[in-house]
Amino acid sequence: MSFLQALLTNEYYIHLVILICIYALLAQSFNLTFGLGKSFNLAHIASYAIGAYTTAILAVDQSRSPLPCMFWSLVLSGVFALTIAIIAIRLSEDYFAIGTLAFSALITALLVNWKSLTRGVLGIPGIPRPEFSFFESQTFYDNFNFLGLAATVLIVVELLLLGIFSSPYARALRAQAEFEQGALAIGHNARVLRTISFVLASAIAGLAGSLFAYYINYIDPSSFSLTEMVFIITIVVLGRPGSFWGVNGAAAFLVLLPEPLRQFDLPPSILGPMRQLIYALILFGVVFLNRNKLWPRLRRI
Amino acid sequence: MDFLRAKTALLSCDMDILPQLLINALITGSIYALASAGLALCYGVLRILNFAHGHLMMTGVYLFYLFSVTLGLALLPAALSTALAVAAVGAVSFTVFVRPFTRHNPVLPLVTTLALSTVLESSVAMAFGVNVKSLNTEMVSSLEIYGIFITPLQIGIIISALLLLGLTGLVIHFTPAGRTLRALAENEEAAQSLGIGSDRIRFLVFLISALMAAYAGIMLGYETNLQPTMGNSYTIKAFAAMVLGGLGNIWGTVAGAYLLGLVENLSIGLDFGGYSLPAGYRDAFAFMAILLMLLVRPSGLFRRAARRL
Repeated sequence: MSFLQALLTNEYYIHLVILICIYALLAQSFNLTFGLGKSFNLAHIASYAIGAYTTAILAVDQSRSPLPCMFWSLVLSGVFALTIAIIAIRLSEDYFAIGTLAFSALITALLVNWKSLTRGVLGIPGIPRPEFSFFESQTFYDNFNFLGLAATVLIVVELLLLGIFSSPYARALRAQAEFEQGALAIGHNARVLRTISFVLASAIAGLAGSLFAYYINYIDPSSFSLTEMVFIITIVVLGRPGSFWGVNGAAAFLVLLPEPLRQFDLPPSILGPMRQLIYALILFGVVFLNRNKLWPRLRRI
Repeated sequence: MDFLRAKTALLSCDMDILPQLLINALITGSIYALASAGLALCYGVLRILNFAHGHLMMTGVYLFYLFSVTLGLALLPAALSTALAVAAVGAVSFTVFVRPFTRHNPVLPLVTTLALSTVLESSVAMAFGVNVKSLNTEMVSSLEIYGIFITPLQIGIIISALLLLGLTGLVIHFTPAGRTLRALAENEEAAQSLGIGSDRIRFLVFLISALMAAYAGIMLGYETNLQPTMGNSYTIKAFAAMVLGGLGNIWGTVAGAYLLGLVENLSIGLDFGGYSLPAGYRDAFAFMAILLMLLVRPSGLFRRAARRL
């Protein structure tokens, strides 16, 4: 207990735990589409960006209170997933990956160029920490209290997801991913199943984006690049796609993994790429070692 | 009516810059065509969507920068060393990141080439730094031909693209090796049952695709600045050309690339009745083209049954 206390009184450790909460949300929602549904949705990071920008714009430009901000982040990301589904749901793997990559790139182009709304590459600074009227004694400017907020959101979402992962819906989603014609033959509509998983996952990613914007106070388009997407894929693949607890563990492990690098006093221009390199190599290594069992060979009738 | 007004506005004030825009479109289109032809070849024969294609371009131009600017080699030795280095990078990429996965689920190569793209980008960022670099050490003066400004290098880009694409066409359509490639692209299982399609052919195709990407990257390096993060947007542009032309259809893809160059340059350069698009949206056309094509005609503009290369 005293160890836990020591851990949570150190500002830097609190920072890491908050990051773990945010990435666990992101990875767990990607796990829903990619792990269960096997849809390689590269626009997941764009849902995260939409959530973060919605909160930032509403909180800074319109000074809305946190609950509506988080609500709209959730809703807009969900709607975004619906538009993806309309275009991409019927496509096969290759086309689907290209289409969702295009979506993701389009959102990045909008974030960079729609300057009147997003302030371009300069980003949106000064996002206030959330203040809830029913929590007057608590201020979320304190990182420890913010950790409480992030952990609450994480626990609520994870309980929901735990329910989903063991529901008949998840079994149907797994079934259509493994053998689509078979799932169709027993009366599951694969496109509807996949669309539901997109919308749910995207809404959760939007919520994670909202938390991220509130926590970091400043967002710009570079936080939502494809390399960030590679990080999320790495978490899910390392945690074993479709495994609920594995992905949670992998999120914690991978956020903490590059921390020992800090001892070497590397300049940030080396440290950033080095982290990416480590994550990409881990992703490759895990896929290489599990290439026989990660995704079963496509069945043919 | 609005359309007519826009058209008259276009005719009245833009007639004089139209030839320049068309030439610019040809230059951009040539680079895109070189880049996407390699990707289409790779997809047609290997059935692998290479997410690292733009990053191979970026790696190629950075290697060329290393040899020609940092080490100060002359053009020819620098180009040869770059070709060797890129061939080495391509060989490692293929044997490590592609070949072990081809016989498994098609999702695997998507994930591994994505990992490869990050490996290339972060390695280049660590080796060269994240700051912008430029291949052009001195100002290049433009020639003026009938009111069109063009540098000798840009003429070189246009002509070399046509030559290289023509050569590729000759090899594919008129040599035994090309026949093998076409057989593999058309029906892989049938080709394999006839003993066609060894690992060596796939390896060579990937290598050629990497070399074409690197050449396109170097041409691009003379037109714009170098940044480690540049790869991704060119991967997507090559995908856009491929989706326009039909996945794996190499000539459709080349046509799609020139079309993309044309649309980008015309829409940014012309003003539509007092309104012109900000130049920052230039890249967005490729993304829009992909989404539009996937929505209305996923098989590409030039649909032809059964023939892919």
